[in-house]
Amino acid sequence: MTVETSTANTSGFDRQHLRDLATGSVTSIAVTLIAVIVVGLSWVGPNFVQASNITIIGTFVAVPMLVAAFAGFALLGGVVDLSIGSMVGFSSCLCATLLGWGWPLATAIPVTLVACMAFGAINATAVVIFGADTIAATLGMLVALRGVCYLMAQPTGSLTAFDTNFYTFTNLTVGPLPLLFVIALAVIVIAAFIVTRTRLGRHVQAAGGDDRAATRAGISVTRVRFGALLLSALGAGIGGILYVGQLGSASNLTGTGLEFQVYAAMMIGGYSILRGGVGNPIGAALGLLVVAGTSNILDVQAISPYFTNIIVGLLLLAAVLLDRLRGGDAYE
Amino acid sequence: MRMTLRRTLATMTPALLALAIAGASAGPAAAFKLGMAVGGDTCCDWMKAQGDVAAALAKQRGWDYVELSNNADPAIATKNADIFIQDKVDAVIEFNGRSEVNPVLAAKFAAAKIPVVTYDISQKGFYFVGIDNQAAGIAGGEALGEIAKAKWNCQPDLVLSSEGAGAGIVNTWRTGGMRDGLKKVCPDIPAEKWISFEGNGQAVVALPAARDVLAAHPDAKKILVVGLNDGGVLGALQAAEQLGRADDIIGWGQDGSFITGNNVDPHLAGSVFYFLEGYAVYALRDVIDKIAAGSPPPVKDDAGDPASRVQPCPVSAAEAAKIPGTADRVKALLAAPAGTTEYDLFCPKKS
Amino acid sequence: MTDATTIAQSTSVQPEGFRAKLPSGWGTAATVAAAWIVLIVASGIHRPDFLSHQTVLAVSFTMAIVGILAVAQALVGMSGAILDLSQPTALILSAAVVAWLLECGVPVPVVAIAGILVGAAWGIANATIIVFGKLNPIIVTLATNFIGGAVMFLIFQNAQAPLKSGFSDFGRSYFLGLPNIWWPMAVLVLLAGYLVPRTRYGRHMIAVGGNRFAAQARGISLRKTRFAVFGISGAIVGAAGILFAASNGPFAPAVGSTYQLPVIAGVILAGVSLAGGRGSIWLILLSVGFLSTVPTSLVFFGFSSNWQAVFQGLILIVAVAIDGFRAKRLQR
Repeated sequence: MTVETSTANTSGFDRQHLRDLATGSVTSIAVTLIAVIVVGLSWVGPNFVQASNITIIGTFVAVPMLVAAFAGFALLGGVVDLSIGSMVGFSSCLCATLLGWGWPLATAIPVTLVACMAFGAINATAVVIFGADTIAATLGMLVALRGVCYLMAQPTGSLTAFDTNFYTFTNLTVGPLPLLFVIALAVIVIAAFIVTRTRLGRHVQAAGGDDRAATRAGISVTRVRFGALLLSALGAGIGGILYVGQLGSASNLTGTGLEFQVYAAMMIGGYSILRGGVGNPIGAALGLLVVAGTSNILDVQAISPYFTNIIVGLLLLAAVLLDRLRGGDAYE
Repeated sequence: MRMTLRRTLATMTPALLALAIAGASAGPAAAFKLGMAVGGDTCCDWMKAQGDVAAALAKQRGWDYVELSNNADPAIATKNADIFIQDKVDAVIEFNGRSEVNPVLAAKFAAAKIPVVTYDISQKGFYFVGIDNQAAGIAGGEALGEIAKAKWNCQPDLVLSSEGAGAGIVNTWRTGGMRDGLKKVCPDIPAEKWISFEGNGQAVVALPAARDVLAAHPDAKKILVVGLNDGGVLGALQAAEQLGRADDIIGWGQDGSFITGNNVDPHLAGSVFYFLEGYAVYALRDVIDKIAAGSPPPVKDDAGDPASRVQPCPVSAAEAAKIPGTADRVKALLAAPAGTTEYDLFCPKKS
Repeated sequence: MTDATTIAQSTSVQPEGFRAKLPSGWGTAATVAAAWIVLIVASGIHRPDFLSHQTVLAVSFTMAIVGILAVAQALVGMSGAILDLSQPTALILSAAVVAWLLECGVPVPVVAIAGILVGAAWGIANATIIVFGKLNPIIVTLATNFIGGAVMFLIFQNAQAPLKSGFSDFGRSYFLGLPNIWWPMAVLVLLAGYLVPRTRYGRHMIAVGGNRFAAQARGISLRKTRFAVFGISGAIVGAAGILFAASNGPFAPAVGSTYQLPVIAGVILAGVSLAGGRGSIWLILLSVGFLSTVPTSLVFFGFSSNWQAVFQGLILIVAVAIDGFRAKRLQR
């Protein structure tokens, strides 16, 4: 009986149910974002939305947003990749090293991405094939890759890799919006489309939501999660390369704390670290914008930087509380 | 969907009214605006104090002051530069430990025609205010070398270097400089006795790392310690104490963070003060006051020929006992006549 | 046959999606003990002077603080609250209060009680937000860690217990050849490991962790359990703070984060399931012991600090992969 209902209704029920969930949490974070914009406008004034300020916010949020779009698939599929920050750093350092050796960008980029995906494959093998605990395994990769960054950036801790064309490209703007931001947004929208409207997206959600039911329904949870972790590594790799362009350099500390920024934003945007199956990339993007917008208000108003951290932490709590009140996961 | 739209419009209308009122009550013509980007590393109290002193001095002059934190992160340093430019500040003080991103910052500020003072880390086009980190390192190394010569005839069993790779080039200058200074006085210490470990410039991190290194050299008795800063060196000293091998360990620090007060480790023989928290006095006296008065000085961006040179102040532990802690120094500095530096006020041996 | 078992399985269990498949018991103990022995033997062969009292001291000083924090974290994990990410802040908060009180001349026993109470208060504060906000503990503790750290930094940038005091002497002296601070850790592990399965409260905690709905149905108050778990866990972290202050030099507010990864690794390697309901606290002695020996071994093998990070990360990945693999085989 249980088996029949689940196979018969997988397509219909899941899509409806999940669309509701996704829209629900997306609306909640959208309202928060609108609130942030309103506060910004009333406190900072019209300067809050002047072109240069939008560029500032957009530039800062572009790479994390891109990384979040890819890492979101892992969360959705029921695995967590904590190593994305160190992977971004590793990718930056590797790309900068190759450029420093005189490699052209066209070869440095693919090699870097392949290397990142190789490490992603290690994550995936440990977590999916061997069944290692996802938090522990990716935590191990976080530590290991950070060590690799330090090794690559010896002895001064930084690698200069200023490629004029690359720098110009990554700093282009489309109106007030940085090009990278527009690209990241496009990736988010594509990811959201995949998640909500394609069979692949439904499979990922099913694998994350209830892996036993998914397996019974014929979805290869192993393949989905393996792919999701590879994707997460790929996204981090792309992010790291873009940082080399944006900043003209890489350092042993590049990407430190990025996993915190990305996952906090994703959690307030409706994803869950406890369980897979929920979350929409648009929620992640909005979550990032909420935090970036708030930091920007505090920066522009010259609030002591030490208070900014406190406010962002409180914001995280408030946003999750709000999400819970409108009907999101309640933790008992 | 429509409800949300209505609700949004409802919330925005009073906001728009509020900002119309705010706009109407705009203030008088803007004063000189100084921006400062503090390092943001949570290791040391002088990082925060640097901003506090700059804020106080700016207030004394009736200037506007904007402080942002670089958070030891190159992406944030870049974002802060954009915010300063957008805010149309008249001058910026940068303490950017992530020097690899300085060329990008320089390009941005140059395009916006905003003069920049940089503390300790040189960048073409930025006014250099600070010490020569390498020279400070060498001075500390030489001081330690003299002790090693007197006590052990320049024959230690081990020379530990507490590195802080996260500090980038400053680590290379200071820790490397200390080794160079030590080698100058004691050139014959064999290469295998020089061991480096990563202490991140913090006692709590250096401690377990140094413990492991000491355990791996169980026969080393006469030990010298150099490092990025006092905290890093202290970690190694405490490791020796924990392993019961502190009878013959001597360390010399940098930056003077932990050599004042009544809680000084007995094995810290000395340190080199830069009085980092008081750099703003130099920056304002020699560069920014002149910019505010309308006659900017020529740009001197090299540590060897700086816009304003801060003298390092090597001290032995005994001499440091008379120097007050950071908080008291800041108070005294702000109460002193304009242009007085902490070096003037506190350094026991002026060279 | 299959229908009955599937239905039985799907009703009896666990939070979905993210699951640590690590059964407690002899299997895990054997794996970790074996790994530890292999490490010691290999290091001893490479350098016979590895097997010395100095090495034992170096390893056990590290074990002391990590071990106590691991017990606290294990309690949180076993009760189904996954992870307490605010341990770094609680540790330093308690240590700072201890240092400050000692400087004011307060006698050591009072200071010790104060340290423990500070930790417990922090835990209860977390529990309040978790229980009344019905928010997931990972987000709450992530936020409180962030906020607490920022607030502390505004108040002090460095703290240290008085050096010339019996307290600090205690922190660097030995008892029966091992550091003084190691013994409270060992006693705590043995005591906690003994008490948890044998007291009513301990069993309630495990029941809530295993299946909170079933536990609730049996009349166990979820609310009281959460408060108890976080309060006790916080008190343990407070105790760790006392030992930390006794054995460490000047510490800054953010420095507690260096313990986060080793503690989580130690807990997971001890077989504590982050999804709740399983784990043996006694195994913490083995897992933390093993993980604390790794960095020392690596130095004996001649690896620089940067390589240590790489190895430590890889070892964690391999260890949890092996453990996951064993758990998978057992499930078949």
